[in-house]
Parts: sequence; C-alpha cells; structure tokens
Amino acid sequence: MIREYDVAIIGGGPAGICAAIAAGKNGLKTLLIEERTFLGGQLIKQTHRFFGSEEEHAGTRGIHIAQELKDQLESLSTIDIMTSTTALGYYEDGMLTALHDEKMIKIKPKSMIIATGAFERFLPFENNDLPGIFGAGAVQTLMNIYGIKPADKVLMIGSGNIGLIVSYQLIQAGVQVIGVVEAAAKIGGYLVHASKLRRLGVPILTRHTIKKAVGSEKVEGAVICQLNENWQEIEGTQRQLDCDAICLAVGLTPLSDILSQMGCETTYIGELGGIVPKRTADLETTKPGVFVAGDLAGIEEASAAMLEGELAGLNAVKYVNADERVNDRIHHLKDELMGLRSGPVGEKIRYGLAQLYEESVITKEKIQKHQHDITQLAFTGVPSQENIDEKLPDVQRRLKPYAVIECFQEIPCNPCVASCPFGAIYIPKDDINCPPVVDFEKCTGCRSCISGCPGLAIFVEQYHPQTGTGTISIPYEQLNRPEKGERVDLFGRNGQPLGSGLVTTVLYGQKQDKTAVITVETDIKLVNQVRSIKPLENGKRVVR
Amino acid sequence: MKEDDIIICRCEDVTLGTIRDLIRQGYTTLEEIKRIARCGMGPCQGKTCTPLIAKEIAAITGKDIHEIMKQNHRPPFGGVTFEEIVSGRDEE
Amino acid sequence: MRIREHPILDFERGEQIHFSFNGKSVEAYKGETIAAALHAAGIWHYSESDVLKRPRGLFCAIGHCSSCLMCVNGVPNTRICVTDVVDGMIVESKTGGETE
Repeated sequence: MIREYDVAIIGGGPAGICAAIAAGKNGLKTLLIEERTFLGGQLIKQTHRFFGSEEEHAGTRGIHIAQELKDQLESLSTIDIMTSTTALGYYEDGMLTALHDEKMIKIKPKSMIIATGAFERFLPFENNDLPGIFGAGAVQTLMNIYGIKPADKVLMIGSGNIGLIVSYQLIQAGVQVIGVVEAAAKIGGYLVHASKLRRLGVPILTRHTIKKAVGSEKVEGAVICQLNENWQEIEGTQRQLDCDAICLAVGLTPLSDILSQMGCETTYIGELGGIVPKRTADLETTKPGVFVAGDLAGIEEASAAMLEGELAGLNAVKYVNADERVNDRIHHLKDELMGLRSGPVGEKIRYGLAQLYEESVITKEKIQKHQHDITQLAFTGVPSQENIDEKLPDVQRRLKPYAVIECFQEIPCNPCVASCPFGAIYIPKDDINCPPVVDFEKCTGCRSCISGCPGLAIFVEQYHPQTGTGTISIPYEQLNRPEKGERVDLFGRNGQPLGSGLVTTVLYGQKQDKTAVITVETDIKLVNQVRSIKPLENGKRVVR
Repeated sequence: MKEDDIIICRCEDVTLGTIRDLIRQGYTTLEEIKRIARCGMGPCQGKTCTPLIAKEIAAITGKDIHEIMKQNHRPPFGGVTFEEIVSGRDEE
Repeated sequence: MRIREHPILDFERGEQIHFSFNGKSVEAYKGETIAAALHAAGIWHYSESDVLKRPRGLFCAIGHCSSCLMCVNGVPNTRICVTDVVDGMIVESKTGGETE
C-alpha cells in the first residue's frame, strides 16, 4: 500500500509544525513525520519568553508557543501526524520510505518539506568523552522535559544564546553554574541574557577555553585556560575548577544527511552551521518540489524557524496547486525574516545566505546605528555607567516611579512596547532592532513592562530622599520566591552583594505569567545598583 | 593524557593523534580517513567527528574547508533492523 | 534527582514503573526515557567504548551522537536517550568488541 499525500513534512519541530499548518490550512493533504514520540522539537524546552515581534509570538514563553501550535495542528483535518516515525530514504521514483510501528511504510508525496533540525557540536579537549559532559540541548531535555536535575555544579562552554539561556535555566532548576567559558573576546549571545547571569553572580570568562575534563568515571572537575588574541593558550593560566558536569554549547550543525541522498545539492557554509541545502529565497532546494525550513536550512533562532516553516508550507501549496492566493502572505513572511535578520546580530546569517541566493541583502551602511558604545557590555555582560545613565530620567523625575530599560544592544525585539498600557515605551525610527526608549512623561511606573520583557531587562525605581530610601522593582523567576515583609539579600549588576532590603510588594498573578515582580525598599544610594535578590542565606523567612 | 589522545570519533575510539598521523601520511580526504580508520562508519555516521576531522585536515594541509566538506550519504538514515524492512511487505 | 519545585514548570509524572540496569532495579515514571530515569538515579556511566574501553554516558540526548547505546531487552545498540522505559525492561551495558 502506498500512502499518497500532497506534501510530506519530515520533522515535527517548530519549522515542521508551522509548515504543516500552512499547508493544511490551504487544503493540502499533509503528512507530518516525527521520529520522537512527541512533537515540538527544541521548542518545547524553551521556558523563556521569545524575542522578535508580536507576529513571531514575542513575549510568549516557548513552551506556550509550542502548545498553541500543536493545538492549531490538531484542529486541521487535512493533516495526518505520525510520531515515532523515522524517515528512512527517498528514491528516484518519488517514493519516501519510513519506519512506522516497527514496519517500513511507503509514501508518495507530490512535494516535501525537510525540517530535520540540527544537533550539537562536539569540542576536542582531553577526556571530552567522559560521562558528565553533555550537549546543552541534553541538559535542557533533562530538566525541562523530564524534570530531572542535570547536575549540582555545571561549567558551561560557549556564550552564544544557547549557552547563556541554558545557564539561566540551570539556575532556575536549582543547579549552580560555576561559570561560562567563551573562547572569543566578546560574548556571543544577546547581552541581556549575559546580564541576567552576571546579576546572579555567574562569571563569564571570555578568552578562555577548556583544556581537560577531570575524572575517571564521571566528571569531577575541569581545567580551563586563558587565550591570547590568536586563540592560543597563554602559558601559566591553566586552573582547575570543581564541577560535576560540563555543558557544551559550542554550536549546532544541520542534520542534512537525508538531503544529499535525495539528490538535493548541498554546500558547506560555515556561517549557517555547516553543510546546508542549496535553496532559493522561497526555500526550494535544487530538487523541484522539495523545500527546507528551520535549522536544517541554516542555524538560527526558533522565531526564524517558525517563519520559514510557514514560508515553505505556502510554497509547497503553490507548487502543488499553483495557488497564487498565497503570494501576499509569502511576501510578508519574507519581509518578516528580513526584519529579524536586519540588525547587527543578523550579520552572520545574512552573509551566509548571500552565498546561496541573490536578494536585497542589507549592507552595513544601510543599518541604522542606534546603539551607543557597548564595548564593556559586550566583553563582560555588565553595562557601563554611561550606558546606564542614558536610560535614566533627570533627578526631579525620580521622585515618582519610572521604568529603566537596561536594553542596550540592537536586537530584533519589541514586546515591551505592547506591554505598556500607557504607550510610554517606543522603538525609535520604527526599526525593531533599535533599543527601546521610555517617555517619562507618560510612564506611571505601573510595572506592567517588567514581566513582559524577554530579556528581563526592565526595572522600576523610585527615590524617597526625605527618608533616605528608595524602591526598586525587579523581575524574579527563581526558586523560593520571597514574600511581602521578608528581608532579602541584594546584589548588583556584577553579582556583588549590596546588603539587604525589605520586600514591600510582590506581583505574581496571571498577567505576570510566572515572572514575579518584586519591589524592595533599600537605601537610596543603592536603588540604581540593585538588580537581583535572593532569600536570606540563613533562611529566616516570613511564615504565612 | 596528551592532546593526541583526545577522542575525535567516539563511535570507533579514534584519537586526534591517529587522525593527524593519517593526514600527514597523505590521507587528506574525509572519505579516505573513513575507509581506513572507520570514522563516519559508526552508529552516528560521522555526525560528531566529521567537522572536527575536516578542521584538522584544513589546519594541516591548508586545503579550503569547502573542498573538504563533501558528502556522500546512502539510506537508510538511522538504524533499522532487517525484520523491520521485511515485515513491511506483509503489512502493506 | 527529580525536580519537585520549579519556578516556571510543573512536572506531571506518569505511574511509577521499574526496569533493571545491569541487574540492578531502577525506578522510573511512565513517559521517561531510559536515559532520563538513569540520570535521575545518579547513574551516568552507561558502558565502555568498544576499542579503548573508555567510560561512556549521555551526550546529546536526542539520538544523534550514539554515546548512549545499550542493550535493551536483548537488542544491542539501542539509543536509550530516545527509548521510553517500559515496566520490566532489561537494560545492559554493551560489552563491545565481540563482533570483530
């Protein structure tokens, strides 16, 4: 028996699901194949709020986006979903074989979308195969899917978004992160993620690398060393750190083996993560009717994967039905993707894609320079005093509460704008990459924006000079949430201890979606310095 | 443990030292190294080791990484037992 | 160790089941993979590599690196990171070397 479909989609992660929804909504008889028992790929592990624009679900936690997409998928009768099914091969006669229910089945699709994602890179260092060395994805799988504590003390290798985000998630799971090691001179991921870690006291060691994992049966420690500008070890800088796990977040490589077997041409593009399919701006490979989407097409963020999934799905609709009605949406999706990639952080992707197809690649000159000097921030994760001062209102205004948005880097993100009920936050020049600005005349200090920011970069301050005190409201997403009336330890942007303060209010309702907004009263001199809190070490807590 | 003892191919336990020796002996393509040392033939089919071996080849020979990274894949992808292939005929 | 409290997530666990790892009984919950259950039990060293007999365990946890291969119910080279636990499963270290 040969099962016939208009489109067969291989891979049930965010790209594959979005492709299926697009195809199914437009009347294609769709098959979605996923090798795991569950759908969602990497998306279901992402507990943090997404960046990007509202259209890309910005401000919503990855886990909730995954649920919304799955609900949409299941509501469409045009889509057949086969989990625990592995694609095995594709043959010249247009036949796709797959392993389903322990038997090989045959599928004849008119078109295909490959969205198989990517896998972790390995790093060469002594004893790199010891138990206790995990890919960052593995650690996320353990703690966010199965609720299993990955380790007690982790050393994170790699400061890209994955390394930074997973480090933060480890802390949320009660794991100590002893440091993040980064070989380059600058932090690789979004600097708001780095700042979050620095506030929690996690050192980020740029120009460092791991030399050796220590342990005979499991990891017991790690030896790191410093690197010079030529990426070579500086003699005498080796030192051993105590840890029971080492997490590698050194990059992803597309899972492209199926493509070359299918006759789709591939090519090596370092900027996109390795071997990627040759494809057009419409995501069509060199084999007509075969499209790609997501990390397979080039390592990027989940937001791009979802947009590409829909784009591939709609192009499959065009291919099968010659349906031109989808053209407007296709055009819009391409614009959205271009927007996501238009800022400085998109430079690598743009350069990679430019090697695949000609399109209006945004050149450096066209990028509007909105950010000020963030060198210190890029090297350490801690903004300079100049950076901070630029975000503050004049002293007189500080007597009433006001929002301070410590977002300095040009990244495509804008949920803060919609989060303000008074329209006090805006993105200048209508460029999503531009850091947001607060209109202090409109700002009431209501704290709605604090829990909406994916980077947890917004704080609300108020000064009370007559009492020599002030209040600072911060986002809190850790264990042991403090309660009103409790005293807590205070920490600065560097994670440095700043004494203690009193919790005056805690906002934690549906609107906050698990990002508590905690207001602490402290000495007036500390208001602009306090950026994180912890319940007191000696555990003296308010009893309800 | 020295740098040469670093495991590059975990499926077949091939070390960095072995890879470097092979490259210096003149085996400067992924295909040759696969056939001699079995890197790429194990259960992970070269996913883990290929980028690392390619980097070594590039570092030692000066060859461009694009030239080194060429692929030749055959189905099936992922393990499948003979029983699974055969029983399909009856089920369909 | 299983996480009981988490600031963002709630973990709903299925029924408790058991499987054996090299003869030792290990508890698991329905819906967990073998690797996840072993990890929760503090078992990180799964087996030895074929040639150099180096200790091996979990690496990628999505079935692509082949670091976690074990013999499950008599079937060798099973990726335990993508295999769900079934009550009564027998999981053994791969002994390696015998096919050569």
